[in-house]
Amino acid sequence: MASHNESIIREPLMTGKDITYAQITNDILLPVENKPNKAWWIGFTVASLGSLLWVVAISYTFWFGLGAWGLNKTIGWAWDITGFVWWVGIGHAGTLISAVLLLFRQNWRNSINRSAEAMTIFAVICAATYIVAHMGRPWLAYFTLPLPNQYGSLWVNWNSALMMDVFAISTYFSVSLLFWYTGLLPDIAAIRDRATGLRRRIYSIMSFGWTGSLKTWQRFETVSLILAGIATPLVLSVHTIVSFDFATSLVPGWHTTIFPPYFVAGAIFSGFAMVQTLLLVTRKVLGLENYITMFHIESMNKIILLTGSIVGVAYLTEFFIAWYSGSEYEQYTFLNRFIGPYWWAGCMMYGCNVIMTQVMWFKKVRTNIALSWGFSIIVNIGMWFERFVIIVTSLHRDYIPSSWAMFYPTWVDVSVFIGSIGIFFTMFLLFIRVLPSVAIAEVKLLLKSSSEQAKKKLIDEGHLEPAEVQYYKESLTKYDSVDMADYEKV
Amino acid sequence: MDSNKKYWKGLEELNKTPEFVEKNKHEFAEPIPIEEVLSGGGLSAKTPRRDFLKALGFGVGAVTLAACQKVPVHKSIPYLIKPEEVTPGVANYYSSTYDGSAILVKTREGRPIKVEGNPNDLLSKGGLSAQAQASVLELYDTSRIKDPQQNGNDSSWGSVDAFVKSELAAIAASGKTISIVTSTIHSPSTQAVIADFILKYPTAKHVSYDAVSYTGIIKANQNSFGKAVLPHYNFDKADIIVSFGADFLGTWISGEEFTRQYVSNRNNKSLEAKKMSRHIQFETGMSMTGTNADVRVAIKPSEEGPALVNLYNALSGTTLPGSKKLTTANADKAILLVATELKAAKGKALVVCGSNDVAAQVLVNAINSLLGSYGTTINLDNPSRQYAGNDGEIVDFITQAKNGTVGAAIFLDANPAYDYHSADAVKDALKNVRLKVSLSDHADETTTLCNVVAPNHHYLESWGDDSSVEGYYTIMQPTINPVNNTRQAEQSLLVWSDNAVKDYYTYVRNNWNTNLLAKGGLSGQAGWETLLQTGFVLAAPVAAGTYTFNQDLNAVAQTIQSQSAKLVAGDNKFELQVYQSVGMRDGKKANNPWLQELPDPVSKVTWDNYAAMSPSDIKRLSLDEFEVVEIEANGYKISLPVLSQPGQAPGTVSVAVGYGRTAAGLVGNNVGKNAYPFYTFSNGTFQTAAIANLNGTGDIFPLSQTQTHHSIEGRNIIREATFTEYKKDASVNSGSHGEHKEYDLWEGSKDDEIHARPVYDWVMAIDLNACTGCGACVVACSAENNIPVVGKDEVGRRREMHWIRIDRYYSYNDDGNGNAVTKEREIAKLDDLNNVTVVHQPMLCQHCDHAPCETVCPVLATVHSSEGLNQMAYNRCVGTRYCANNCPYKVRRFNWFNYWNDSRFDNYLNNEHTQLVLNPDVTTRFRGVMEKCSMCVQRIQAGKLQAKIEKRPLKDGEVKVACQQTCSANAIVFGNRNDKTSEVYKALQSERTYYVLEELNVKPGIGYQVKVRNTSSELQA
Repeated sequence: MASHNESIIREPLMTGKDITYAQITNDILLPVENKPNKAWWIGFTVASLGSLLWVVAISYTFWFGLGAWGLNKTIGWAWDITGFVWWVGIGHAGTLISAVLLLFRQNWRNSINRSAEAMTIFAVICAATYIVAHMGRPWLAYFTLPLPNQYGSLWVNWNSALMMDVFAISTYFSVSLLFWYTGLLPDIAAIRDRATGLRRRIYSIMSFGWTGSLKTWQRFETVSLILAGIATPLVLSVHTIVSFDFATSLVPGWHTTIFPPYFVAGAIFSGFAMVQTLLLVTRKVLGLENYITMFHIESMNKIILLTGSIVGVAYLTEFFIAWYSGSEYEQYTFLNRFIGPYWWAGCMMYGCNVIMTQVMWFKKVRTNIALSWGFSIIVNIGMWFERFVIIVTSLHRDYIPSSWAMFYPTWVDVSVFIGSIGIFFTMFLLFIRVLPSVAIAEVKLLLKSSSEQAKKKLIDEGHLEPAEVQYYKESLTKYDSVDMADYEKV
Repeated sequence: MDSNKKYWKGLEELNKTPEFVEKNKHEFAEPIPIEEVLSGGGLSAKTPRRDFLKALGFGVGAVTLAACQKVPVHKSIPYLIKPEEVTPGVANYYSSTYDGSAILVKTREGRPIKVEGNPNDLLSKGGLSAQAQASVLELYDTSRIKDPQQNGNDSSWGSVDAFVKSELAAIAASGKTISIVTSTIHSPSTQAVIADFILKYPTAKHVSYDAVSYTGIIKANQNSFGKAVLPHYNFDKADIIVSFGADFLGTWISGEEFTRQYVSNRNNKSLEAKKMSRHIQFETGMSMTGTNADVRVAIKPSEEGPALVNLYNALSGTTLPGSKKLTTANADKAILLVATELKAAKGKALVVCGSNDVAAQVLVNAINSLLGSYGTTINLDNPSRQYAGNDGEIVDFITQAKNGTVGAAIFLDANPAYDYHSADAVKDALKNVRLKVSLSDHADETTTLCNVVAPNHHYLESWGDDSSVEGYYTIMQPTINPVNNTRQAEQSLLVWSDNAVKDYYTYVRNNWNTNLLAKGGLSGQAGWETLLQTGFVLAAPVAAGTYTFNQDLNAVAQTIQSQSAKLVAGDNKFELQVYQSVGMRDGKKANNPWLQELPDPVSKVTWDNYAAMSPSDIKRLSLDEFEVVEIEANGYKISLPVLSQPGQAPGTVSVAVGYGRTAAGLVGNNVGKNAYPFYTFSNGTFQTAAIANLNGTGDIFPLSQTQTHHSIEGRNIIREATFTEYKKDASVNSGSHGEHKEYDLWEGSKDDEIHARPVYDWVMAIDLNACTGCGACVVACSAENNIPVVGKDEVGRRREMHWIRIDRYYSYNDDGNGNAVTKEREIAKLDDLNNVTVVHQPMLCQHCDHAPCETVCPVLATVHSSEGLNQMAYNRCVGTRYCANNCPYKVRRFNWFNYWNDSRFDNYLNNEHTQLVLNPDVTTRFRGVMEKCSMCVQRIQAGKLQAKIEKRPLKDGEVKVACQQTCSANAIVFGNRNDKTSEVYKALQSERTYYVLEELNVKPGIGYQVKVRNTSSELQA
């Protein structure tokens, strides 16, 4: 679209030869417009079984009571809130990619924002199930809403971070959903235009009467920007408020002012790891190597490295402050993370999140798909343990030693967590079957300016500095989707 | 003007076609197929009319039928003629007696719901033990026998009486013995009934024995002073108390009374007078009394006798034959130092010994005589009647029964098939007895062997009386009509012996009229009515005489030494000590879930007994935590999980009796293992120690403890001082260094008004120096506040629901410099864990003025009252548990399950009958709801209401919370801080007062008073 030519030294955001707008549409809609392949069916079956497990475990919990979980008088939250924070955190990458990177005009987001946003929505849904499920009386969940009632001044407690949470999460969910769906409109219209019969009618309704006129596109751009503007503070606020659940309490290990920035960094960290986990597989299975390139993978790895390091600094700060505060309870809590009964959880947390991600300083690691995928899983595990350590390890030994206890998860705890992953993947797999997993319209924006073929054309035209061309060619070597033989002649 | 326009509807009308004209003749242009519908044609249509009607008819019918599901009808029948004394919603209190203590029984709408101490009770002045508190639950026990039985089948009283009387007559005629086997009976009227029974049947004999026996003391007093009595001890008159294995604050004779006496020399009042007794405990296992001792020396059972001998030697300056040094050098030194101290406190000293060995008790008598204790700290002239059993009698009974000379055995409050050391012997012997009658209200181990069961009333259904101490007589009156078709045991005996008095009530009245009322200066109907109100009469005590021991001790010393030699365990063997646990005692109340769930004061174990061993032995044998060990002694073998007990004498293992019941009822069956068979009968008494083989099995049987971390980690939540320090500075270690500036985020804001306490400010003071850790408050609280019992599994998951708990912490003194080691990691490095000191801290909701739980509740389900109470609105709670997480004291309890309606908890309180014990003033909580101590808000409200009705301000002490009320030590004081004259205000003004975690500025409403120990630096080392 852009009329100017992008500098040659910028790496291409899309690879492949002879790609046309039509081919982009064809490529991306391939899974949507065809019968699913075997890989999808296997994945979907596994994920559905996971969802079923969730249904069983949650039904068991609702029937018998929260005693089905391993919680006790000392440890009132464990896998439930760990899972909640983990899922909310994962969601953050989607919003960051779609909103913040849009505002910063980071065009490389165009290939990954759709999946990332979908991931956000599904992750927030998973998180929300935990909010309801962790309640002793979930059928009274509406008590947490400031509804008018006949009890006079009976109102909710705005001092409580949990109250803020309810609003933070619901706002986050609605804005994310709106943003995601707005972005989907032109793509749904594209499906509509190619579909027939019932499919056409369904997609027609879903496309909200998209016409593709200039005015429509203009409004689309404007709405996207406005929503990005609204969503951007949410990237910071939602996890800040989630961190308030802990920071505003007086449990040693929770009561700390560093939590908001630390949690936000951690959220983006874990979110990008989850995006990486999903996209590396999607890319391979759906054959989207040309759209989700090594550049994307490396960029995400860089963000993981950055946020992982921020989290590392936050960990160090916590330890310093624990020592510097002179508070014996605080000191004990942090020492306990290493030498208490849950030392292994602490090791998982610090090891996976800080030590392991530091190898991302090496380009070879960042551009290795298998390693990247492995590290994304490690980060996800590490971040789960971070929440587990913050919640369980802090609670299990707080002020009064007589009440110190251990937490042993039951099969229900484990099933609810595994089940929530099942639900997430069920939703994600359904998503890639019915909606384009890459933003077609936005990727098309890149074709004329930032694609490999556009740049190849420029090189072929031969008006460029040879040194810059050489630099460009060297940058291409990391791409697994670029055939370097094409460039030997040039 | 008429219109001449013509409107037409269609061309047909305009043209007036013939078809139109034809059709227009009818009302409807096209014919309506009414005929067709009504005739047969309509029935073959797609949806025939009849089918429709059928469907409609069936549908309405089906829905109506489905709606006919019977809605459960809960009938509430109003009084046709309201009893004058019953006002719905207002409790009535009746005086009665439990185990010789005067009590008040609280009844609501005709059913007893709580037992409370009579504030004028001679023994504990209103305090009550956990057992007494729990006794009300037994009334509603569904395992009680509901009808008389003959040969295992339900029968009628008439047929039972006819059968028993004919049998008794036949047996009496045959000259065979009729044995009435009972545990100690201290009711004068029951004693009279039995005496009358024996008059009627001359071959009848009263066999009195106690599962846990004091025969040793009784016989020793017979030997030493010619008085076969259990003396009445006065711990309050002793400046120095030395106990050899007597758990006198817990299970020994009269725990509640002794607690009251003991604490009176150690509480705030005493400390302010710069007076504190010193208590030295020599014992094997860590008893509750041992945890309270100023100095505690661990000795093996085999060393107890020699230690007494050495003490006697040191006091008398003689050397008894066979005297030798103790194997534990520390104990040896301690004995000499103790002797010096005892000598210095002559006349104000008391030595007690828990042994049931006559020789040992004779020596103790000699020691007390040297110390001038008789007439001061020991009263032989107003003896205790609490235990009078004679071990020999039961042994004789079983021998005779086996020989076939016993024709009838009547069991009253006795269960030898469980608590006799050889149950097989009992079973064998009873086979040869023609008539076996059980008067038990439970199908216990002995009852199942009997051919006639004449179930007794629960004491709350009975008339009766009691006399626990000479000169002190208490009356028992029924508080409810008998729940089951039971009959009072005394009544049965009256009937069977054809007594002239036909019913027991008249019998009791006659007995009181002729014998007892006069002792209290009462007489006649008026006297009887006064008695029913006051609950007791107290005769003027006989002046306690002084007694001097002047028997030869050589033989005694030799017996002691030989007994001791028999207990010295060889290599790889252990000295086994069998003891009573504070909660379960002798096991008669094993079916009481409140007691089963009451954590042991020392080990904090619920729902089990265990093998307590010293940490060093466990390490030496490389046993795992809770590893099951096989203990074999006297040819009997049980497997029990091992518990690491700091302070346990190395080389010993302690096992509690009272467990391992097989026919206690749904709750108590197969809880723990029976340790009675470890008893041996020697020298005329049951001996409680033996040599045991001990082998690990490798299996793990997790014990359910309510506390699993046992040290304070150097935190100042427990503050303690020595008496020496205290005398120099009363505020020592309390952290109260005068006023300090308080910073308040909300100062001057509207919130300040919210925190105003215009009239009442309910607070509490807990004296750590008074609390012995017995746990009676825990049961009292459960009874008052409808706290569910959750069972072993749930306690093991750390989910007990108790609103008040007693935290127990160990600290170790390794270097002898008095530097306590309290940190887990440092403790792990210690070699010697035997030098342990213990502290108990009652912990309950602190009702913080800046309550951290309140700010975090999203729905405002927990809020503060204008009286300083932190309140729970159960209806509003959605159960996020955030409040519990944020509670630094961890006193909030969550209803993980629907404990009141979940089949897994059926055995405890969860059934319609048992739930009649619930306090109607306190709601039961549904699952998913948080709960916690409310400071008995229902009592506060009731008190305020009463004051309002009487148009007067509430008086201090008028409202007592349940935990405070039952505490014999008076360790808990509750009241209004705004009232500067209140007890609680004064208690909180004490220099010893501190607040747990006060640095968090949550402003807790409960002040604790520093624990003071009267340690001795020489003895400590």
